[in-house]
Amino acid sequence: MSVYKHNYRAYTGEVTPLWTRVLVLARYAFAEAWSSKITVALFTLSLLPIIVFLIVIYLANNPIARALIVKGNSAGLEVDARYFFQILQTQSMIALAITAWVAPRLISSDLSDNALPILLSHPISRFGYVFAKFIALFSSLSAVTWVPCLLLFAYQGYSSPQPWIGGNLQIGVGVFVGAVIWIAFLSILGLALSSWVKWRIVATGTIFAVLFVPAGIGGIVTAILRTKWGFLLNVPFMMSVLWRRLLGVQSFSFAGESIPISAILVMLALACVLCIAMLNARIRAREVVRG
Amino acid sequence: MGVIDLDGLEVRLGNRIVLNGLTGTLRGQAIGLLGPNGAGKSTLISTLLGFHQPLRGTARVFDFDVCRDRAQIRQQIGYMPENDSFIGNMSGVRFVRYMAELAGLPRGEALERAHEALFYVGLGEVRYRKVSTYSLGMKQLIKLAQALAHGPKLLILDEPTNGLDPVARQRMIQVIKEIRKEGSIRLLISSHLLRDIDETCDEVLILKDGRIAALRNIEEERKSHRNFIEIETVGATEQFSARIRELGCECASFPGGRIKLVMPDNIEARDLYVIASDQGVQIRRMNQRRDSLEDIFLRAMDNEVGRPEHVSV
Repeated sequence: MSVYKHNYRAYTGEVTPLWTRVLVLARYAFAEAWSSKITVALFTLSLLPIIVFLIVIYLANNPIARALIVKGNSAGLEVDARYFFQILQTQSMIALAITAWVAPRLISSDLSDNALPILLSHPISRFGYVFAKFIALFSSLSAVTWVPCLLLFAYQGYSSPQPWIGGNLQIGVGVFVGAVIWIAFLSILGLALSSWVKWRIVATGTIFAVLFVPAGIGGIVTAILRTKWGFLLNVPFMMSVLWRRLLGVQSFSFAGESIPISAILVMLALACVLCIAMLNARIRAREVVRG
Repeated sequence: MGVIDLDGLEVRLGNRIVLNGLTGTLRGQAIGLLGPNGAGKSTLISTLLGFHQPLRGTARVFDFDVCRDRAQIRQQIGYMPENDSFIGNMSGVRFVRYMAELAGLPRGEALERAHEALFYVGLGEVRYRKVSTYSLGMKQLIKLAQALAHGPKLLILDEPTNGLDPVARQRMIQVIKEIRKEGSIRLLISSHLLRDIDETCDEVLILKDGRIAALRNIEEERKSHRNFIEIETVGATEQFSARIRELGCECASFPGGRIKLVMPDNIEARDLYVIASDQGVQIRRMNQRRDSLEDIFLRAMDNEVGRPEHVSV
C-alpha cells in the first residue's frame, strides 16, 4: 500500500514478539484512562493531602518550627506508624474514587462498542486482555497510593535527625504491602464490575455500591446477631484492620478489630475469585455465539 | 496443504451441534462461505480464529492447528467481523494503528500502514474523525482497513457488504477484487448474498445445518459450462439442427423452436448465425448460459443432508 498509489502492498517488515502485545494493550488502556480531564483532576486532588502530609513531616523534623508551633507539646507532630496509617487511608479512598472513574473507561467502552471480537482476533488471549487492563489500572492507582506514601517515608527518613528508617522499616513494608493488596483488589473489582455494566456512569456508581452496601448489611448483621463476623462484609473496615496490623498500629478495643488476618485474606481472595469468574464469563468474543 | 483443512470438525454450542463433521480442504485464492442463516458460517469462522474449541476433529489454517497454534494463526489472519466492532472514541487512524500494533507491527510501521490502509479503502479524508461518527459504510470500510493493515496472509470477511448501499457495496466488492488480484492474500468471505460470492470468489463452501452441502471450484464449473447455449428460432428448425450437428455440436430440439446445444471450442456463435442465414431460419434469442452459483447453491440445498458434493479442486 502506498498513500499516493492506493495500491495494496504486503507487509514484509519485522514483527514484535508475542509477549509484547499485552504491553500494547496496556499502553493504549493507560492512554485511554488518562485522556480524561476528570482523571487528571482526581490525580491532582490526590496530591493535595500528600502536600499537607509532606509539610507536616517537614515541620515535625524542624526544631524551630516545632518550637514555634507546638510550644512543648509534640503529640500533634508525631510522625509514626499511626501517621502513615492516616496517609495510607486517605490515599486509598482517593484510589477508590479513581478506580470508580477509570475502570469503566477501560472495559465498558470496549463492550459497548463490541470491540472484543476484533481485539481478540489478534494474537492476544482473554487473559492477556484482562491482564493488560489490570496493568493500566494498577499502575494508575500506584501513582496515588504506595508511590507517594513511600516517597513520604523516604523523606521522613531523610529529614529525621536520628536514623529513622532502620527502626521503622515495618512501616515502609506495611505501607507498600497494604497499598498493593488494596489497589490489586480495587483493580480486579473495578474491571469485573465494569465488564458487566455497559454504561460508564452506572458502572462508576456500582463500584461504590458494591463496596458500601455490603458494609451496611454487615453492620446490620453485626448489630442483630451480636457477632464480629458481620464486619467481613465491610471491605473498607477489613482493609483498615489489615493496614493497622501491617503497620503495627495499636488497635482500638473494638469487636471488629479482633477479626483474624487469615479471615480477612480469605474473604478478599473469595471476592477476587468471584471477580475473576465474572470477567471469565463476560470477556469473550460474543459475536461467535450467534452461529 | 490447503489454506484451510477440516477433518471431521464438530463444534457444539450449549446443547446444539452447530458444526457436524466438516471434512474438506479449501485451496482457493478467494473462498466463499455460503449457507442459510444458522448453517454455521460464523461458527466456522470463530472456530478458525480459536474462539471455539472443537468437540471432535481438527481444523488447520496454513497447517497450524486451531487449538494448539492459536496465536500463530491469529498472527496471519485479518478479521473483519459481521457486526459493528470498533472503539468509538478513537480516531480512525489511531484505531487502525492500534490494531496493527496488536498484530505485531512496530509503532512507526503501524502508524504508516494505518494511513496507507485507510487511503486504500477510501477513508483517507476522514481518518482523523472519531470512528463513532462514521456512517455504516465507513464503519464497514474501517473494519476492512484494520484487517488489512498488518498484511495478513488470510483475510476473513464476515458479511462484508452487510447494510451497504449499492454504491458502497460496489466499492467494497471492487476493493475485495483488487486484494484478490494482488495475490499475496487468501480470502475467506462469508455471505448470504450469492452475488457477492459469485463476483469475488473462485471456490465456494456451502454449509447446510452444520454440514458441508457442497465444496466447489466456481471457476472450474464456469469453464465446463462455457459453451452451453440456448437459442429460440423461427423457421426450419429440424434442418437447422441437423446442420449444427454436422459442425460437431451436441444438440437437442424442443417444441416452439427452442434448441439447446453444447458447442465445441472451435465453433463460435457467429457460425450459428451463418447457418441460420443459409437455412432461412431466424434466431430470435440466444442465451450463453453459465451454471451460475445460484444453481450450485440450490442443488446443494436440495441434496440430502450428509451427502456432500465434493469436487476435486
